[in-house]
Amino acid sequence: MTASWFRNLPVTLRVPLVTATLMIVLGLVASQGVLTALRHVQDARLVETARLHLDGLSVALGPFVLRQDVWEVYDILERAQTASDGQRLLQTVVADERGQVLAASDPKRAPVGSGISTYETGAVAPKDVTMTGDPTLRVMAPLRYQGREVGRIVTELDVTDLLAERRRVSLWLLFGNAAATAVLTFAGWLAVARILRPVATLVRAMDATEGVPRPIAEADIPRGDPGLARLIATYNRMTTAVEARAEAERRLAERERFVSLGRLSSSLAHEINNPLGGLLNAADTIVTYADRPEVVRESGSLMLRGLTHMRDVARAILDQNRLDRSAQHLRSVDFEDLRLLFEPEVASRQQHLRWEIGAGDATLAKLPSAQVRQVTLNLLLNASEAAGTGGQVGLTVSNGADELSIIVEDSGPGLGPDHLARLLSSGPLPPGGGVGLRLAHDIVVGLDGQISHSRTALATVIRVDLPVSGDGHV
Amino acid sequence: MTCTRRLFLGGLATLAAPAVHAQSSVAVRFALTPVFLDNDAAVISSLQAALAEGMGRSIELVQRRTYQEITGALLDGSVDAAWTCGYPYLQHRSDLSLLGVPVWNGRPLYQSYLIASADDPASDLGDLRGGTHAFSDPDSNSGFLVTASDLATLGESPETFFSRTIFTFGHRNVVRAVAGGLTRSGSVDGYVWEVLSAVEPDLTVQTRIVARSEWLGFPPFVARSDRKDDPVVADCSSALLGLADTVAGRSALGLLFLDGVTPADPLLFDGIAARMAILGARP
Repeated sequence: MTASWFRNLPVTLRVPLVTATLMIVLGLVASQGVLTALRHVQDARLVETARLHLDGLSVALGPFVLRQDVWEVYDILERAQTASDGQRLLQTVVADERGQVLAASDPKRAPVGSGISTYETGAVAPKDVTMTGDPTLRVMAPLRYQGREVGRIVTELDVTDLLAERRRVSLWLLFGNAAATAVLTFAGWLAVARILRPVATLVRAMDATEGVPRPIAEADIPRGDPGLARLIATYNRMTTAVEARAEAERRLAERERFVSLGRLSSSLAHEINNPLGGLLNAADTIVTYADRPEVVRESGSLMLRGLTHMRDVARAILDQNRLDRSAQHLRSVDFEDLRLLFEPEVASRQQHLRWEIGAGDATLAKLPSAQVRQVTLNLLLNASEAAGTGGQVGLTVSNGADELSIIVEDSGPGLGPDHLARLLSSGPLPPGGGVGLRLAHDIVVGLDGQISHSRTALATVIRVDLPVSGDGHV
Repeated sequence: MTCTRRLFLGGLATLAAPAVHAQSSVAVRFALTPVFLDNDAAVISSLQAALAEGMGRSIELVQRRTYQEITGALLDGSVDAAWTCGYPYLQHRSDLSLLGVPVWNGRPLYQSYLIASADDPASDLGDLRGGTHAFSDPDSNSGFLVTASDLATLGESPETFFSRTIFTFGHRNVVRAVAGGLTRSGSVDGYVWEVLSAVEPDLTVQTRIVARSEWLGFPPFVARSDRKDDPVVADCSSALLGLADTVAGRSALGLLFLDGVTPADPLLFDGIAARMAILGARP
């Protein structure tokens, strides 16, 4: 979870963070090294202090300890203490060879004649003295005189100042490292942000204009960085390719309108040709029976109906092809036009057509005419083709509170995987086949609608739900 | 009495001697004892200058650690005169003569103090039984004889009465030992304790006086009896007795908190003799 959180951060933040982390680790390692070195130096100072003190006292005290001269031992200890006043020596205790205290620099703490063992607790030899964290350290050494051990000496060293020095150094290291890390992190952030500025430009260009990639201007390409320059050049080529593809798709969609009409051309030709025969007959009848008004009237009436039908068909074809229709609202007449165009196709296959338009003009008017007509015609043509000769095709248009439903059914065997892929997904088109279903899909997606497919025992049902907004999509 | 910083002062005396303009070819060798406030170099210099002026001779101050050494030097002629204690004077009364006795607070008398640390509840010598005790010098009246004779009166000796006794060879050292807690109690020259309480109150405030002795003869200036008429010794005696008459002498006396030096009568030391008798009669 943390890793994903980190991955979601911008790279201009991640790199300084990584730098800061490495700095902190480096700072800790370096600080540990400094503190270790400081401890060694302090230990060396302590060893030297303890050794000098005890060696000096041993030389001075030797004869007096041998003679058990309490006063002289005390006098020497007190003078040694006074000489080091405010320094490291806290207390020195001298005992005879039996371990009884002869004198101490503070006799009230170590009375004459008491045992020295109390003061030997935790005491170490001068060469072994080391900082333990305790503000008071005890050092012990035998007192030698004339080649034999005549007593013992224990000294308490005050290392409060050394501990304070270590604390001070630790704090300085802490603050110093924190400040250095902060400064370097900020500098790293600035540097990385500067270095990655072309990348940020690239990201902005990719995110711009609602996902439509925009090429980066030549002036913004960092010529000093060949890698990035190549990356941006590649990106610019890609944007060109995407534009070209979009243009191709646009043209394809444009053509699809003609394609769908092309698919209707045969039946539409029949639709025009059939009345033509009747019209010719009527015309011939008029010529033949020009003197019989009732026959002329009837033939004229017949010709009028035929020509009217031909005019309606021609208008429907023109409407389907009209390029300036994109700004028009959908009306129920549009479905009548579709029926006029589609019925000959149904008739040519001896199919049964069920046509139910249950949506009101108020709802229809909130949708664009061209797109809905194209989607419906494509689905109907597909259904008719699937239903085969003598099959059944149905169109049901109804509206809910805030959507328009277009349901196209057919009695065919159902859509294959390739057709479903074209109709239901935005993925790459499978090779072969037309683009009618994909065009329907793209238009529906463009209108924020949804396409669903279901298969019952008898029919294939394709349902398109289009949201109806207040002002329509036109 | 002794010198706590004898090495330093010995060196000082050696250095100081040539500074005195000699009016006579024969220098006087004068021994100082621990009755002296030997921690003050100014006192030494001042006394040396005053005596040199009074005698018209150069003077060499000789420092020794113990009364025994001083007495030995006096008797073997190593020194011409000495400021010693009444006890060693009486021990060698047949060989020594009095040159004069200092006058302190108008009288040639002083006391021995029995001291303990300031917070010690002891009210007399008996309360100090079993503790550690600091003496000044085994030949000191105030620093040993008084307490030892008091114990003899009680049928005790220092060795049996105290758990441990030490000799510090200096009255100031006795005060240091008690103040620092090295020993529970100490026997000290009352004159030294009083002067210390004026010049080093931080030291004496850590002690309190448990008991005072009777008034006894002040530590005298002495010379060998057979040399009493020696001009050197005579000059020395005159100089001592006339200290209060010269500016330098009064300055030295002022530093010593003394009024002057008066001719002495051996009877002045009868009190000490009585204590010696007690100690001598000890079983």
